[in-house]
Amino acid sequence: MELGAAKNRVIVYDAGLCTGCRYCEIACAVWHCGRIDVGQSRIRILFNDENRTEPYAAVNCQHCEEPLCATVCPSEAMHKDRETGWVTVNASTCIGCEMCRAACPLAVPVFDEAQKVAVKCDLCHGEPECVKHCSSRALWLAPREEALRVNERFYLGAGGNP
Amino acid sequence: MEVVEILAILPGADLGFEIAERPDDAQVLIVTGGANLKSKAELQHAYAALKPPRLVVAVGSCAASMGIFKGGYSMTGPIDSIIPVDLYITGCPPRPQVILGALAEALQLSVDGLEPLLRTPEGYRGDPHVDRETCVGCSACANVCPADAIEILDGEGQRVVRFRREACVFCGTCQDVCPTESVTLRAGDPSWYRVKGASTSEAALPLAQCGVCGAAFMPEAQLAWAMRRVEERRSLDAGDRAAIRRSLHVCMACRRSRIPDVREAKRLLTSLEKKTAIVS
Repeated sequence: MELGAAKNRVIVYDAGLCTGCRYCEIACAVWHCGRIDVGQSRIRILFNDENRTEPYAAVNCQHCEEPLCATVCPSEAMHKDRETGWVTVNASTCIGCEMCRAACPLAVPVFDEAQKVAVKCDLCHGEPECVKHCSSRALWLAPREEALRVNERFYLGAGGNP
Repeated sequence: MEVVEILAILPGADLGFEIAERPDDAQVLIVTGGANLKSKAELQHAYAALKPPRLVVAVGSCAASMGIFKGGYSMTGPIDSIIPVDLYITGCPPRPQVILGALAEALQLSVDGLEPLLRTPEGYRGDPHVDRETCVGCSACANVCPADAIEILDGEGQRVVRFRREACVFCGTCQDVCPTESVTLRAGDPSWYRVKGASTSEAALPLAQCGVCGAAFMPEAQLAWAMRRVEERRSLDAGDRAAIRRSLHVCMACRRSRIPDVREAKRLLTSLEKKTAIVS
């Protein structure tokens, strides 16, 4: 995929389509860490058997236009690329203060105990593995405007899809 | 090297000690590094050969705690795990003046006329000190410390940030990264000690309780700092500010594992995103 094609596209998640197979988590962990360890996945699928109306949710980076994580980062290690739209951590300038974790309402950045830095979704540099491996197409890559429209329907609209 | 350099100061100083050629001619043993597999036996041998009162002086962070060599495959431990240590001199490395000054003070030798030689020059880095008023307890200092000299102890509703004297290598990295500029390495503290385990400085921060599960998770001051930063850098209406403040007070475990909280967080992010899109 050309870099341009991935520009300013973000991952959208439809809880109504998700089956909870967690292939996304496996694909993410394998791409980023080289092993099947869902604990290392940058995306996290939650499921609740008892709650039939809202059984699934995903903790995944929204690559916000004005990210709170980058707003609070004291060392400018959390960076929003205006060209691609990606929000990524520079591991060599990250000081491990966890301010980004505190600021993100989803606590998307996690603390890597081995390297003592924050790690998070980097959209696999344009071709997210989670999207590629999603068996039910509950995850897809959408232009920012479309993603906003869909998320508005999911999260702001009254009585919308989960 | 620094121990050899004190010889340059010694001719002008009549402190009454001289460098011995062999351990069995000496009363004081000066050790300048951590012990490894090869040096352990040598150290025991040298200590056994010492003449009374058999004083052992550990010079520098490596001798006291192995410093940045801690965990190295050939290291067997700090000096005091092998032979008893009477005196620890701080520094990485300690300056020759400090070594001489500490020895003189500890052994109660007269330093008349030598004071200018023993004074620490201006601008040198000394012990780290944390400002209890401004520290937010984020642990960045502990995470960057190459010598593992800073402890983060969470318990009983508070976080304690503790600077361990014996392990510090005085690199100043904690001072460089501190987001609130709360750490300073200042010279002028005593340059030697007899008992390990003391801290040069400590800060205690009350931990915030999760608004959902009630668990203590992050220092209240850190959350307040993040909130201030958001308010300074973003123009938000009162509703958004309240929503962000609420989300700050939900612990990371709940944010990442409870479906209602995840949905609430996405609702907040979508609403912020919508406003950004309208502005731009």
